[in-house]
Amino acid sequence: MMRLRLTVLLASSLLSGSLCAETKFKQFFTQYCIKCHGLEEQEGGVRLDRPVDTLLANAELLETITTLIEAGEMPPGETPQPKTEVVNEISRLLQKRILAQRSVNPLKRLTRAEYTNTLSDLFGVRFDLTGLLPPDHVEHGFDKFGETQLMSPHQVMAYLKTARFIAERVLPDAKPKTRTWEFDVRHFHGSKNFATGGGGDYRDGDDYVLTGFRPYRSNLHFSIDPESHDQFAIPAFGVYRLTVKVRSEKSDEGEVIGINLGDGRHPTSFREIRRVPIPHGSKGFSTELTLKAGDQLAFTFDSARVPGQSLKKKEHKGPTLRFSRLTVTGPLTQQWPTAAMQAILPKPNMKPGELVDHLALLLTQRPLAAEDRRAFVEIARRQHKSGAPQIATARSVLIALLTSPHFVYKSESTELTDVQRAHRLSYFLWNSAPDAELINAARSGTLRNNPSAQVERMLNDAKAERFNDDFTRQWLQRDKVDDFGPDVRVFKNVRRMTVDSMGREGRELFRHLLENGLSMEHFIDSDFVMANDRLARFYGLPPVQGDAFVPVKLPEDNERGGLVAQAGFLKLTSTDFATSPIHRGSWILKNLYNERIEPPADVLINEPDIRGTTTIREAILKHQELESCSRCHSKIDPLGFALEYYDPVGRKRNKYRHVEELAAEQEDTTFTKKLKFTEVPIEAAMKLPGGREVRDLPTLKAALMADKERILKGILGKLISYAHGREITLADRPHVEDVFESIAQEDFSLRAAIHAIVAHPAFGRK
Amino acid sequence: MKRRTFLQGTGVALLLPRMESLGQVSESDSPRRLLTIVNHLSFYQPELIPQVDGAIDKAPPLLDELSDHFDHLKIFSGLDNPAVQNGFGHTPCVGILSGYFNKLQRKNRVSIDQAIADLTGDDTRFKSLVFQAGENLNFSQISWDKHGLPVKQIDSPRKIFNLLFRVDENEKMQQQVLAEDRSILDAVFAQAKSMEKRLNATDRAKLDEYLTSVREVEQTVKRRAYWADRSKPNGDYEIKDFDRKSVDDYVATLLDLAVLALETDSTRAVTVQIPFWEGFKEPDLSGNYHDLSHHGQKPEKIKKLLMLEHAILKRISNSLSIMKQRTAGNSSLFDQTTTLLTASMGSANAHNFDDLPALVFDSRVKTAGHWQKKDVPMSNLYLGLLQLFGAEQDRFGESTAAFEVLA
Repeated sequence: MMRLRLTVLLASSLLSGSLCAETKFKQFFTQYCIKCHGLEEQEGGVRLDRPVDTLLANAELLETITTLIEAGEMPPGETPQPKTEVVNEISRLLQKRILAQRSVNPLKRLTRAEYTNTLSDLFGVRFDLTGLLPPDHVEHGFDKFGETQLMSPHQVMAYLKTARFIAERVLPDAKPKTRTWEFDVRHFHGSKNFATGGGGDYRDGDDYVLTGFRPYRSNLHFSIDPESHDQFAIPAFGVYRLTVKVRSEKSDEGEVIGINLGDGRHPTSFREIRRVPIPHGSKGFSTELTLKAGDQLAFTFDSARVPGQSLKKKEHKGPTLRFSRLTVTGPLTQQWPTAAMQAILPKPNMKPGELVDHLALLLTQRPLAAEDRRAFVEIARRQHKSGAPQIATARSVLIALLTSPHFVYKSESTELTDVQRAHRLSYFLWNSAPDAELINAARSGTLRNNPSAQVERMLNDAKAERFNDDFTRQWLQRDKVDDFGPDVRVFKNVRRMTVDSMGREGRELFRHLLENGLSMEHFIDSDFVMANDRLARFYGLPPVQGDAFVPVKLPEDNERGGLVAQAGFLKLTSTDFATSPIHRGSWILKNLYNERIEPPADVLINEPDIRGTTTIREAILKHQELESCSRCHSKIDPLGFALEYYDPVGRKRNKYRHVEELAAEQEDTTFTKKLKFTEVPIEAAMKLPGGREVRDLPTLKAALMADKERILKGILGKLISYAHGREITLADRPHVEDVFESIAQEDFSLRAAIHAIVAHPAFGRK
Repeated sequence: MKRRTFLQGTGVALLLPRMESLGQVSESDSPRRLLTIVNHLSFYQPELIPQVDGAIDKAPPLLDELSDHFDHLKIFSGLDNPAVQNGFGHTPCVGILSGYFNKLQRKNRVSIDQAIADLTGDDTRFKSLVFQAGENLNFSQISWDKHGLPVKQIDSPRKIFNLLFRVDENEKMQQQVLAEDRSILDAVFAQAKSMEKRLNATDRAKLDEYLTSVREVEQTVKRRAYWADRSKPNGDYEIKDFDRKSVDDYVATLLDLAVLALETDSTRAVTVQIPFWEGFKEPDLSGNYHDLSHHGQKPEKIKKLLMLEHAILKRISNSLSIMKQRTAGNSSLFDQTTTLLTASMGSANAHNFDDLPALVFDSRVKTAGHWQKKDVPMSNLYLGLLQLFGAEQDRFGESTAAFEVLA
């Protein structure tokens, strides 16, 4: 009875509170908003003359309203303004609303990277599951967000196939025989059927020479029988060691060799699986690859100097690769039974139930609930009864468990258990399942009370590289850097490995800051950059040796520091020929400020095209004239235009080059389309909403630095959402602020930020 | 050029009983099929594309080879592939069906034939079959799966024949695997069901997606078991030797096999590429096809090139006629098939990757004829085709809108 009354009281008091707030909202909207967002006009398609509760139940609208009112952007300047107290009061009420509507964190499945790493770590085999598991598509945010993860029949079918692929390979019936194959120039073949002579690959004495002159065709593959062209195929799944005797010629720097899977006669169907940098003067390399039966290998010259002009019938004068010998050994087995077999079947004659429990625990460190395990035990029992050997039974159970929700979904209670906490941390910093030490720390309670020792250990582990790689790939869209162009006729000398290096720069900076406890301010501006040989040359910096990235102190007059000066970002936001200020500006808002900007749904966005026009600026500025566009574009455009002094591949320029393609001309059998260039001056200066002018990269970076607090909070938001697997909203502001405050004393070190994110109480909650 | 019969025998009663036994296909619902034909070295467009838009009044000589099918033909010309540009010789040809080509890295996006095969491929033995009418493998990859990975393109008629008609030695194994898959799916479904009870409403909705998916995969596995259990069609066909040096022979042979693959319902998406050719030898003509295609406007070269192109188009027209004769269920194979004929280049002579021709044959076309679509992305046509096959998406590659293919 007591309890009932209490509830009623509580409910009614809440009700009156919200009623009161509701009236205030209604008053505010009526007075300041509905003139433009009401019955008569619906600016931006927004109407605020609806019941307040319905309006504010829409989380997105609620966030937008709050952001705009707080920033003083609405009501717009020319209309009557509410008093500061009124704004503060409304902001406070809106904030309360937002906190009450904190988004849920729905069930998450493993991403492809998590799945692959987890199994690789569990079984000590480096699986390549490309082509087996579908890639995770990300519209915005990260592939770790349960909310956006898709589950489909295709996905489940892929789980089933992948599980079978893995089970058959970690639990083979017999020990594979290790063999060694030797190949030399007699067995080597290059691409055949060059239509026109010159520039091809050729045999020369004891060497096979790759010129890489025709980047899509040039490759070296090999056959067992010198007389036949039947390419060598891997006989069985396993790890193979390749020892290659190869040297570069007419080159004064390191070169890069690509290892591809595919038919050497059919190079457009290649899939590149590894890039091996060989230092200058190197005599060869040795590498280990996990390959499967039927795989065919071919080498390509990835750092070849591809000429920008059309093919001429003359000898290739540039660098070449000379291959003289190749040894393939495998499948390698260090011990038998393998570590994976021992882990899966620790003792003979395990009972069906025992086997299922053991495997369930091995895969996720969580026991299967009693009612969940029945079906799996049934599979084991049936196999067992039919007289199947134990290893076959284990295979079936393993396939079933790897396909089941027990493995593919992450388990998270409202308050995370210690083991769940270990999983969250491990998928955050290793992109994989926890190891025994982390699980022990979790079970003993140390992880909960004082996680810093574990965080330190994990960041120092080689597996932390997966975090560097995966987080920056998604945050900075590094994998999209080479999606377009560059058009090699316009951007001569921009080579494959330079573009490849651009795609790595963001990760290298992140890693350097993380490893050395440096401030996140370096993301905004910095007095050094991370560069390797090719990138240093591209940026015009003092030379760097080798393919590995090292910090390079910037000369006084060089403005390359910070993410917005990186060629990778500048190229990513451009097309083949043209830069796109809108794309660049919105990238900065989305990825540095962590603002949610969506392109208007009903507007067909044509990427602005600098090829054609001197009026590009005017065309884009049209956006700002329309009020529905200007709210975002007044922020986006200045940021993007300030970067117009950088061309589509991220090189400095001081004029636009208008490119026009002329009709094809014929010389002998060769047809070339000539390009016509016209130069057009750049006009980049523009005012940010606050009135501050930005006109080039240094002034842009100064403006971003002035906004340091917002940007650092934006980046923290990215890190937190990656760690928690859900989008950070305004409701998480206190959380982000806590983390921000706690690292202020440590110069906003990236490493301290990771510690603070893990130590925050919210890390232990779903 | 000579006409020759390669596959002997009649196709009567060859069509497999379809999936009625599984309750998958109702009699009234004829399946939709796709035949994609791509000529790498393109066609001599002045003799292919009509001068004016609209109904085909006076057909240019090359187009006239297809005159038996004008009632069902829509020709689009002048199309563009904005993400495929000049450079590196013939290599950009890899992007004709995906609308994408990356100059520096080996990667691609899904091609239209595979995107459609993903929609039609569940009920047949093969999701799709991709043939290549020629042995030259340079720059010939045009079919890409949804991961952007290359799809195997088969150039050997013998291998294709065996796939379609010969018993697979591994079938016994296959049966076992499928039986095991079914019990595994039962088990994971049971686990998901019992796990669901412990979840909150949001998570339960998420897990429901998994449960529904498992149910659908069960159907797919059932269908696979059905196919593994069924013997392959047993026509009285025989494969004869043919002249590998003859473009005409090669194209005819693979088109015959393509029609057979569709007719036996072995797959519902067949792609035939006439790849990069150099030396060829026909009874009355020999030379270098690649060289002829780069004719430099020399009349004697164009004349020879046209002889080849006439022969190819004759073969295509013939295959379409055969498809009209073969019935499957209530309608002809032609009625059930959408055929797309296109080329990797606008003109091999100009070496351009825009100004592309695309010919679509479909018995449901309301207004046949020609439409010039200058600088419109090819992907708009692809999106139109994709929607025709029931896809709900509104983007394909660089598309800006969808063609109404049947209008």
